[in-house]
Amino acid sequence: MNIESDPKSAPVPPAATPASSRQAPARPSAPPARVIPKHHALVRLSHWANVPLLLGLAASGLAVYWAAPVFMHAADPASGSHDYLRDLGAAAARLLHSGGDARTWFYDHLSLGPHALADSLRLHWVLAYLFMLNGALYLVGLIAGGGWRALLPRPSDVADALAMMRFYAGVVPMALLRRPWPHPPVRSKYNALQRSAYFAMPLLGALAVLSGWAMHKPVQLGWLERLFVNYDGARIVHFICMLVLTTFLVPHVVLVIADGWDTFRSMVTGWSARVKEAPND
Amino acid sequence: MTDEPPIEPGREETTRAAASPDASTPSVAATPPDAAADHAATPGGTPDHAATPGGTPAAAPTARVPGAPAASSPAPPAAPGRRAAAGRPSGLADFVRERPEVPIEISRPQLQAQSRRDFLLLAGGVLVSAAGAWWLLPDRTRGRLAGPARERLDSLGARLGMTRDRAEGILNRALTFDDDVAEALYSRGRRVRTYERSQVTPLRNNYDGQTPGPEYLAGWRLRVSGLASGRDESLAIDDLTSRFPLHEQVTRLVCVEGWSAVAWWGGLRFADLLAAFPPAPGARWAALRSSVNLDGDGNPDPYYVSIDLETARHPQTLLATRLGGRPLPIEHGAPLRLLVPMKLGLKNIKAVTDIAYTAVEPRDYWNERGYSKYDGL
Repeated sequence: MNIESDPKSAPVPPAATPASSRQAPARPSAPPARVIPKHHALVRLSHWANVPLLLGLAASGLAVYWAAPVFMHAADPASGSHDYLRDLGAAAARLLHSGGDARTWFYDHLSLGPHALADSLRLHWVLAYLFMLNGALYLVGLIAGGGWRALLPRPSDVADALAMMRFYAGVVPMALLRRPWPHPPVRSKYNALQRSAYFAMPLLGALAVLSGWAMHKPVQLGWLERLFVNYDGARIVHFICMLVLTTFLVPHVVLVIADGWDTFRSMVTGWSARVKEAPND
Repeated sequence: MTDEPPIEPGREETTRAAASPDASTPSVAATPPDAAADHAATPGGTPDHAATPGGTPAAAPTARVPGAPAASSPAPPAAPGRRAAAGRPSGLADFVRERPEVPIEISRPQLQAQSRRDFLLLAGGVLVSAAGAWWLLPDRTRGRLAGPARERLDSLGARLGMTRDRAEGILNRALTFDDDVAEALYSRGRRVRTYERSQVTPLRNNYDGQTPGPEYLAGWRLRVSGLASGRDESLAIDDLTSRFPLHEQVTRLVCVEGWSAVAWWGGLRFADLLAAFPPAPGARWAALRSSVNLDGDGNPDPYYVSIDLETARHPQTLLATRLGGRPLPIEHGAPLRLLVPMKLGLKNIKAVTDIAYTAVEPRDYWNERGYSKYDGL
């Protein structure tokens, strides 16, 4: 938070007057900090609000899913199960030597629990309406801040994304070998991998909302249901959206940690101290 | 948020701005640099008029806070024209092109104060989210998460005003809000999607009680009350099937649990019954009841649902007597069930024995068990 402690902060330009070089924080004539504005306040707000909303939606959604799974196989004569998620949970319970009922392990640990359909539906509606509101705030922030331009895919993205993947694949081995492994040059706000992810996630959120409405109101929004072929099509798409959104969390968090404090801070405060002195580098 | 640094300080660097007629006028070119570059004061300033004279990314990448000395002098009037000539011809490609990230200068105390505020807001948001999640989670989930600490946490929350009653109020408000959305979406002119008979899928009997024996069929009557005539009607199944035309449809039944089934139904239109035996003036609801059900122990387990008359009059709302081209089997509600494909399956009450038209919304079995009430699909 304290810019003085940030080693990456840009060097302070020579002071205009000798008096102001003495780092007096209260003085209006103290040397200003050079920072790059990063994210609109609404983008930051909606970004963080997504964390509890998506976790709650996934947990309540899985509890709703328990009542009638869409990914089913013929009933297993031994376990009586016809639900892939239940099998997955039973396997996890065996692996972890977890106590409790292995049949409901998955739903006990990753959802609000089985036999909670009415409670889960209510909570899912609360969070779903908040999620849509949050998405609208995000869009407003994206447009107001002009940040949408940085998200648009561009022709160079394929080659640049491959270069980024090659870079990430080599980071650990090259560090072990103590060989130099320079980061591919990034001329824009995001590298190509980030851009494709940050471009895809809002679309995926919109797809989750659309497939949710398609199964919630398949009669009055029949055109939407047909967009997903049929009712179960909407359920499958909705489930896959949940999977991808939650799976995205893993590389997202890992890469933010790898990228450093400045990246995390910029999503809280809206500014980055990583001033590129030569933007055309 | 007005003291935020603006997000796109580089907007003045666009060739679009330079190419626009405004930017090429001498008056804009003569704008004082300090005023143009004062982003904190003009976060919403239009890009055209904020154009810094001569402000190419290489020449002046840094915006200045008010009072800072100007580093670049006003550009000669010819500069915008030169850049416009070098600019791209396509306006759209230019419009969507990412703007360069341009550093701004901001006083350190101001930056620190803003950053401190934003981190405090984040911490507050984490606390509020955690407390809100705890408050709204179902009892069983809270018990599993916290074990014996649950009661202490609950009483702590209650002391802060987060009582169980209020949580129920919020969650039920979400249900009624969602019902209002469903009712607003409803259109009597909109038909439910129909299927071919070849697309029929197995239909399960989701009742976990006992299917009653066929004894009740012989004495079955449909009692209709709340009529404009002031009399109650008692109708045998033959009265209904002989008097009203048979309508057939292949529609999807959608259960609140998430499964659904396409089935071929036949029966009379609810609208026809309503026309033949009109409800009393002011009636807005139909209370449908089945008194033949037995629960798992063999005790009477009456089932009752509420249906708004607007939905009851929909041409695809049937009082079904046939399934798959045959008379309704007992497990699917012989001799007469409600088929209302624009509502969740739980409204499609089987073996209806009573219909009462009312002005006030009647009781609904699943609404009393935590589900919504209108249930429009």
